Amino acid sequence: MAHRDPRRLTRRQFDLLGTQVAGAVVAVLLGIPIIGFILSPLFRRQPTYWQQVGDIGSVPDGQPTKFVVSFPQGEWTSSKVNAAVYVVKQNNNYTVLSNVCSHMQCPVHWDDALRQFLCPCHGGLYDITGQNVGGPPPKPLPQYVHRIDGTTLYIENRFTENI
Amino acid sequence: MSQLLAVIAPALQRLAAELPAQAPQGSNRIAAQAAIGSLFSLHILIAGLVSGAGELAPAIEFLGYVRQRRRYDRLAHGLGRFMVYYFSVSSTIAILLITVLLVGFWGHFWSTIVTIGWWPFFIEAWTFVLQVSLAYIWYYSWDALRGFKGLHMALGGLLAIASFLQVYMIDIIASYMLTPTNPQNPLRLALNPTSYPLTVHRTVANLAYIGFVFGAFCAIRFLRARDPEDRAFYDWAGSFGLLWGVSMTLVQPIVGYSYAKEIQLHAYNSWYKMMFGQLSVVFLWQIFLLGLMFIVALFYFTRRLRTDHAPGSGLLKLMTAGMVASTLLAAMPYHISFSYDTVVAAGLNRPFWEGGLINPLGSMIPWKVLALIGYSLLAIAAVVWYLRGLPGVVWGTARRGEQRLLILLAGLTMAMIITMGFIRENSRAPFLITGQITIEGQQNTQNVEPTPLPSSGP
Amino acid sequence: MQRLLSGAYNWFDERAAVRNLLRKGLYEAVPVRGAWFYTLGSATLVLILLQLITGIFLTLLYVPSVTEAWASLNYLKQHDAFGSIVRGIHLWSAYILLFVIGLHMVRTFFSGSYKRPRELNWVTGVILFVLVLGMAITGAFLPWDQAAYWTAVVVTNIAAYTPLIGSFLRALWRGGDTMGPITLVRTFGIHVWLLPAILFPLILAHLALLRKHGEFGSYINYRGAFRSREGVDVPPAPKQRPIEPPYPAVPTDELWAAPLETEDFYPHQTFKDGIVSVGLVIVVFILAVAIGAPLEAIADPSTTSYVPVPEWFFLPLDQLLLLVPQQLIPLILVLPAGGVLLLLALPFIDRGPERNPFERPAVMVPGAFAVLFIVILTLLGSGRLFNQ
Repeated sequence: MAHRDPRRLTRRQFDLLGTQVAGAVVAVLLGIPIIGFILSPLFRRQPTYWQQVGDIGSVPDGQPTKFVVSFPQGEWTSSKVNAAVYVVKQNNNYTVLSNVCSHMQCPVHWDDALRQFLCPCHGGLYDITGQNVGGPPPKPLPQYVHRIDGTTLYIENRFTENI
Repeated sequence: MSQLLAVIAPALQRLAAELPAQAPQGSNRIAAQAAIGSLFSLHILIAGLVSGAGELAPAIEFLGYVRQRRRYDRLAHGLGRFMVYYFSVSSTIAILLITVLLVGFWGHFWSTIVTIGWWPFFIEAWTFVLQVSLAYIWYYSWDALRGFKGLHMALGGLLAIASFLQVYMIDIIASYMLTPTNPQNPLRLALNPTSYPLTVHRTVANLAYIGFVFGAFCAIRFLRARDPEDRAFYDWAGSFGLLWGVSMTLVQPIVGYSYAKEIQLHAYNSWYKMMFGQLSVVFLWQIFLLGLMFIVALFYFTRRLRTDHAPGSGLLKLMTAGMVASTLLAAMPYHISFSYDTVVAAGLNRPFWEGGLINPLGSMIPWKVLALIGYSLLAIAAVVWYLRGLPGVVWGTARRGEQRLLILLAGLTMAMIITMGFIRENSRAPFLITGQITIEGQQNTQNVEPTPLPSSGP
Repeated sequence: MQRLLSGAYNWFDERAAVRNLLRKGLYEAVPVRGAWFYTLGSATLVLILLQLITGIFLTLLYVPSVTEAWASLNYLKQHDAFGSIVRGIHLWSAYILLFVIGLHMVRTFFSGSYKRPRELNWVTGVILFVLVLGMAITGAFLPWDQAAYWTAVVVTNIAAYTPLIGSFLRALWRGGDTMGPITLVRTFGIHVWLLPAILFPLILAHLALLRKHGEFGSYINYRGAFRSREGVDVPPAPKQRPIEPPYPAVPTDELWAAPLETEDFYPHQTFKDGIVSVGLVIVVFILAVAIGAPLEAIADPSTTSYVPVPEWFFLPLDQLLLLVPQQLIPLILVLPAGGVLLLLALPFIDRGPERNPFERPAVMVPGAFAVLFIVILTLLGSGRLFNQ
C-alpha cells in the first residue's frame, strides 16, 4: 500500500479522462445527425415532374413566345410555382428556353427592338437561339428537357444541362 | 416652377422658330466646330483647375490643421489665390461660348437643351456664384480668421461642396446629351444613365489635374527660388501635388470602365465608335497616355528618393518597369487597321498569325482589363513605397531632373484632357443629343449611320 | 423617503453586489479627445438591440412558408399600422446599422485601435461585421416578394462561383438546386436562431474585451504623438487612476499605454453616446413612419418584366458583377473573401506600436483606397438603379 504503482490511473486522471470521453460522446451523438441533416439536401434527388405547356402550333417563326407553366413547389407543400418558357421556332425546329440568365439567374426577357434576349441585371445578351452573345453571362440560356407530342409541348422542371 | 417655365417656354420656342433651323453647313460647320472645340478645351483646361482647387485646397488646409504643419497652410493659401486670380478667365470663355457661339450657331439645339435642363442650369448658376463668393471670402479672410481656424475651415468645406455641386449640375446636362431619358421627369433627367459615372469621373479628374498642375507650378518656382526655405517648400509641394495627382488618377480605370459600360448599354453607337470604329485609334492613344503618365510619376518617385539616398528607390525602379510592361500591354492594338469594320469587310478578322489583321493580345477582355488593374495596383504600391521612403528625404535638395518630370506630367495631363474632349464630342457625332438632335441642328434623324446591333460586335 | 430608498438599495447590494458593479461600470476612465468618434460603437449596439427587439415582435406574426410569408406581411401592411411601423423600424434600422458599422470600422482602422493588446477586439469585431452582413442578407429573403425572391436567387448564385465546391454551397443554402420552400425555412432558421446565437455572445465578448483594455481613443492623446511634432517636448507619463484602471499597469509600449487625459465614462461619454444613439433612432423612426418597409408583388419566377434591384449594401458587388467580364468572374469572389481575410489579419500585419495614421502609410494608404473604391462603386451602382 505504501508504494504506488505508476501504471495505475490516479483518481484525478480517471476523472479527467471520463469528462473528456463524456464530452466526446455527446458531441458525436449530437453532431452526426445535425451535420447529416444540414447536408441532406445535397444527396437528395429533387423530384421532377412533367407538365403540359400548351399548343405550340401557332408559335410564329422567329418570334420567341412566352408560356407560363406551373409546377409543384416541393414534396411537402401543395403550393405551386410558375416557370416561364420561351418557345422559339426556326425552320421547323423548336428551341425551348427558360428565362434564367446564366450569369446570376436573373429573369431574362425578349427585347423586340434588339432582337435579342436581354437580362436587366447586368445587361447580358442572348441571341434567338439562346447563345450568349454579349455582357457577362458565361453560358447560353438554359433549355428545358422537353418532348413534343404532335403540337403539344411538355416540359420537365429541369434543364438539359446543370447551371 | 411650372409657371416660370410656362412663361419662358413660349419665348424659347419662338426664339427657336426664328433661329436658323439649320446649323452652319459645309466648311462653315467645320470652322464653327473648330472654334467651339478649341474654346471649350481652353475653358475645361482652366475650369477643371478652378474646380479642383476649390475642392482640394480646403482639404489641404484641414490636413495642415490636423498635422500642425505650416507648409500645408501656405499651400492651401496659394491655391486659394490661384482660384481668385484665374476663375474669371475660364468663366469669360464659357460666357463667350454660350452667348455668342452656341446661341448663334446652334441656337435650335441650345434653346432645346435649356428648356429640357432648366433646373440643372439654374442651380448650377447659383452654385457657381456660391463657389466664387466663397473662394473670395475664404481667401481674403485667411489672416483675419487665424484665431478661428474652425470657422475658416468650415467656409472651406462649403467651398468644396459648392465646387462639387457646380460640376454635378453641369454634368447632368453633359450626360443627358449622350444618354437622354424622359425629359419630363426631373429625377430621371438628373439620374440619366451616364450622369453618375461622368460626375464621379470628372470630379476625380479635377482633383488629379490640380494636383499635377500645381506640382508643375511648384517645380518651376523651385527652379527659380534662391531662399532655402522657399526651395524646401516648393520641393515638398511639388511632391505633394504629384502624390494627389497619382492617387486620384489610379482610381480612374474603374470609373472610366464603368462609364464606358453605361455608354455600351445606353448609347451603343458611341461605344462602338470608340472601341472598334474610327475613334478606336484615339482611344488606344488615351490608354497609352494614361500609362505614360503613371510611368513618369513612378519615375519621379524613384528619382526623388534616390536623390537623397532614401530607402525604397530600388523597389520603385522595379515598379516603374512593371508599369512600363502594363503600358505596353495596354497599348497593343486589337485590329491592325483604323477601324474594325474595314477588317471585317476584308474578311480578315482572325489572328495575324493566321493571315488576319487581329492581334488577340490587344483585346479588351481580358488583356487590357488586366493592364488597367495593373496600372491601379502598381500605382497604389508605388504611392505606399514612396511615402514610406519620405522620412529619409530632405526637402530642398531635389535635382533639376525631378522638376522637369513634374512639368512633363502636367503637360501629359493637359494632353489627356484634350484627348478626352475630342473623343467625347466625336463619339456622339452626328448627334448633339443622341437620337434626337444632330449637329446639323435639325431634329430630322434620317441622315445617320446605320446602327450596328450589339451582337455584331466581337 | 430617502432612507427607504437607500435602505432598499443596501438590501440589494448585500445580496447582488450592485454598488461595486455600478461603480466599475459607470466610472470607467475614457480618453478625453475625440470622444464623439467613440459614440459609433454604442450607436451600433443600440441599433442591433433595436433589431433584436423589433425582430422578436415580428416573429409574432410572420410565417416562414412560401405561401404564407407574403400573405402575413401583406396582412400586416394593410391592416396593422403599428405593426407596419415595427417592420419599418426593422428595415431602416438594418440599413442604417450597416452604414454605422462601416463608419465604426473606418474609425477604428484609422486610429490604430486594433494594435496590441486589442487585436482580439478587432478580430471579434470583423466576425461581428460578417455576421451582421449575414443577418441583413438572410433577412432580405424573408418577405418572399419579388425583391426578396430575386435577391435570394442572385445571392445564393454568387456562392455557386466558388471553385470546386460552388454548386454544393449553393445547394446547401437553397436546399437543392432550385429555390423552394426549404430555402425560405432554412433562411428563417439561420436568421432568427443560428446567427443571433453566435452574434450576441460575440457582442458580449467584444464589450468585455473593450472593458478589459479600455477605449484607446485618439493618438494625439498619447505621449507617442509628441515625437513627430516640431519642437514640442514629450510630456511625462500619466499617473494611474485610483479607480478601476483599465489601462495596463505594466505598459506594453510605454508611449502608447495610457492616455494622458481621461474623464469618467458616466456622465460625459454616456451623454455623447446618448445624443448620437437617440438621433439615429429618431431618424430610423421617421423613415419607418414616412417610407416604411415596402412589400412588392408576391414572388414570381416566371416574370419577364421585373427588374431586380440590389440592396444598397450590395451595390458595390453588383457594380463589379456588371463590370467584370465572364473570364474574370472568380475575381468577384476573391475580392470580398480576400478583403475579409485581410481585415482579420490586419492586427498581425500592422504590428508596430506607432498609432499616428500619417506615420504608417503602408497600411493606411491601401485602406484608404479600399474605402474609396467601395464608396465609388456604391455611387456608380446607385446611379444605375433608375436605368436598368
